[in-house]
Amino acid sequence: MEHSVEFRNITKYFPGVKALDDVSFVAKGGEVLAFLGENGAGKSTLLKTLNGDYQATSGEYLLDGQEVHFKSPHEAIEAGVSVIYQERQVLMELSVAENIFLGRMPANKFGWIDKGEANKRAQAIIDDFGLPIRPQTKVKDLSIAYQQMVEIMKAYSREDLKVICFDEPTASLSDAEIDALFNIILKLKGEGKVIIYVSHRMSEIRRIADKVAIFKDGRYIGTVDAQTTPEADMIRMMVGRDLGDIYDKLDRDKVIGEELLRVEDLVSDYVGPVSFSLRKGEVLGFSGLVGAGRTELARAIIGADKVLGGKIILEGREIVDKSPHDAMRNGIVYVPEDRKTQGILANLDVSKNITISMLEQNSNAIGVVDTKKEDVIVEDSIKDFAIKTPNAQKKIVELSGGNQQKCIVARWMATMPKVLILDEPTKGIDVGAKSEFYQMICRFAKQGLGVILISSELPEVIGLSDRIIVMANRAVAGEVMGKDATEEKLLSLAMSEGGRN
Amino acid sequence: MEEKKSSMVWRRVKSLIPGDKLILIVALIIVVAIFTSLNSNYLSWTNFVNILVAASLIGLVAIGHTYLIIAGQNDLSPGSVAAFSGVLGATLVSLGLPFLLAVVITLLAGVMIGFFNAWMVNKIKIEAFIATLVTQFIIRGFAYILCDGRPVSITDKAYLAVGGTRFLTIPLSVWIMLVLIVIFGLILAKTRFGRSVYAIGGNKDAARLAGLNPQRIITILFVMMGVITALGGIIFSSRMHSGQPAANVNLEFDAITAVVLGGVSFTGGVGDMFGTILGVILIQAFNTGLIMVNVPTFWQNVARGALLLFALTSDYIRKRNREKMLLEASKKALASN
Repeated sequence: MEHSVEFRNITKYFPGVKALDDVSFVAKGGEVLAFLGENGAGKSTLLKTLNGDYQATSGEYLLDGQEVHFKSPHEAIEAGVSVIYQERQVLMELSVAENIFLGRMPANKFGWIDKGEANKRAQAIIDDFGLPIRPQTKVKDLSIAYQQMVEIMKAYSREDLKVICFDEPTASLSDAEIDALFNIILKLKGEGKVIIYVSHRMSEIRRIADKVAIFKDGRYIGTVDAQTTPEADMIRMMVGRDLGDIYDKLDRDKVIGEELLRVEDLVSDYVGPVSFSLRKGEVLGFSGLVGAGRTELARAIIGADKVLGGKIILEGREIVDKSPHDAMRNGIVYVPEDRKTQGILANLDVSKNITISMLEQNSNAIGVVDTKKEDVIVEDSIKDFAIKTPNAQKKIVELSGGNQQKCIVARWMATMPKVLILDEPTKGIDVGAKSEFYQMICRFAKQGLGVILISSELPEVIGLSDRIIVMANRAVAGEVMGKDATEEKLLSLAMSEGGRN
Repeated sequence: MEEKKSSMVWRRVKSLIPGDKLILIVALIIVVAIFTSLNSNYLSWTNFVNILVAASLIGLVAIGHTYLIIAGQNDLSPGSVAAFSGVLGATLVSLGLPFLLAVVITLLAGVMIGFFNAWMVNKIKIEAFIATLVTQFIIRGFAYILCDGRPVSITDKAYLAVGGTRFLTIPLSVWIMLVLIVIFGLILAKTRFGRSVYAIGGNKDAARLAGLNPQRIITILFVMMGVITALGGIIFSSRMHSGQPAANVNLEFDAITAVVLGGVSFTGGVGDMFGTILGVILIQAFNTGLIMVNVPTFWQNVARGALLLFALTSDYIRKRNREKMLLEASKKALASN
């Protein structure tokens, strides 16, 4: 029988997020189906739904035409659905054979594990795959590529393997290793398995996939032929609305004020030394690859991480931030990247989330909070930032991601800061809310704030910033004026080796 | 017709008292009804006062636990600290120190113990559960060392008055508990300190980035717990007419059970003092009832364990319901966007 996987109208909610929105697709045996989409398009949620890590809120999941409800990855594996993740799931201290037959080692009639038999069977699979490794070798002694192969063999060793999914499998492989992997995928394909291949490398998709299913913002956009569809068409489907004209319409001041903040040779355990300056009314972009040290720089500036050396000069006066509290008092505030774990206070309502940083100003001498004063601030914030909430007593996690983020920005703006640091402010936020944030950022700059915008989205950082600092290897790699910036320029700086200034 | 009327009354009651508290009150009524049916002396003013007196120490410690558990912390040392404080107070007075000075020194010892707990949690980064287990052992040890293992009897009149005095027929120890519960309940609900406690219990990192100082708040909470427990230990020893190094074992167990019954969640950031007072009364009504219907001591332990299991289970169910409601609400919010 030919295998197949089908999703019918699958929807998956998390508090504040609709991760999958009415997704339907079919994948057939003997065919490689690629999943294509930007970060946050829902690919990883899809994989986790496929392998039973998540359960869909609604919709049907069919395996070989039968509806299934996996409660755990274990159940999915038992039913023949395996996902090979980016992070290796192998046990380093065990041998290749022990990993392949983990939990189902062959045993003799006394129940003793039969290593000889396991090695023999493992060898058969290894030969089948044409790999130069031994079943007795400990997995930690293998290269990353072979560790991944072990994982694939582990899935393959189940006679009932029906579906195998690969999550960006080539991320850390060399060209020769990719060739070996693709041969294996073709072999599995020849055996009629369903193969799902997640990647955003277009060249690979062309090479290995038959069809491409495209996702955007948790929605299924469509399936196209992997060989004949022009790349531009796929990208258009993936990105959807063009953001270009949003940036052009933004209301920006042409004049920028005097110097507001100067950072000199700032060093923490995680970044530096870094020097830069920020002027009043300026949007200063920080670009760079993930791990370039941008978040760490922000954390050092606000005293979240210990500063080991260097100076921070605000309005001509040297300041010392020993904690985010000090930084707030000095007028420097930070909207963190990970809203869920560092931004919102999930157990509290919208009102308390907005006013948490104003407790000192809003309470009397013996510490009693003036809720009337708070109500005014909250009401103004909800209006000014167009926060969509039925009322201020709603738990913040009930709001959509974009509205949660607005609450965090409102929290800080209520403290009348001089410098606002935004760390990936539009991550995981839908396009409509994004343009609202862009207008907001421009409004802040117009009011005379210095805005530091840390963003990995190149069009965003180029479209909004007056000046862009590119970081690499925990230091400044270069600086580009916003009007001269191109994606190529920023990328080449971001990937420059030294980065040390 | 009849049914409609009763459902209206029910709705009225529900609007006055939040649902989770109503369940506690119903549970209390059931407990009282069961024990009354088994022993008719159970439902009487005298016994009610007895329950309150017996609950007074648990109630004081439960104040501290309410704050600590809401802040995402815990404390397993109060039983030892209360016993130690009783022994210390009794010893100081027997050495000839004036009662008030003995109280001040004992409360200062409570402060030091609080600082020690906070130091372990903040600086050595030990989980509060384990850190305070350390304290539990050390302080119990000191309680024995201080009096060489023998109870210290109290003859000082002022000292004995604490446990003996009544005001409007209710013992002073009960008044102290009630007044402190109200004061600390108001602090928790109305002040910026209370608000900060909820914030750090919900998410310590986010609270710090929002400009709060979690370590300082945690220190204050442990010190507060130390002082309140020391006070409770003095009152308890006064009632017993002696400082006993072996006293108050499992005190924290009863207090934590009461607090969790009252709706404070182990996940942190949730609960209030009104729930705690109900929980305290409920657990002492239960414990006293077990004694009055002659349940053997060992079986009392089993029953108390079962009660904590019940409390934790209802905490779990409440949490699951909260999550379900959140998911539903955010679905609606997203649909309307």
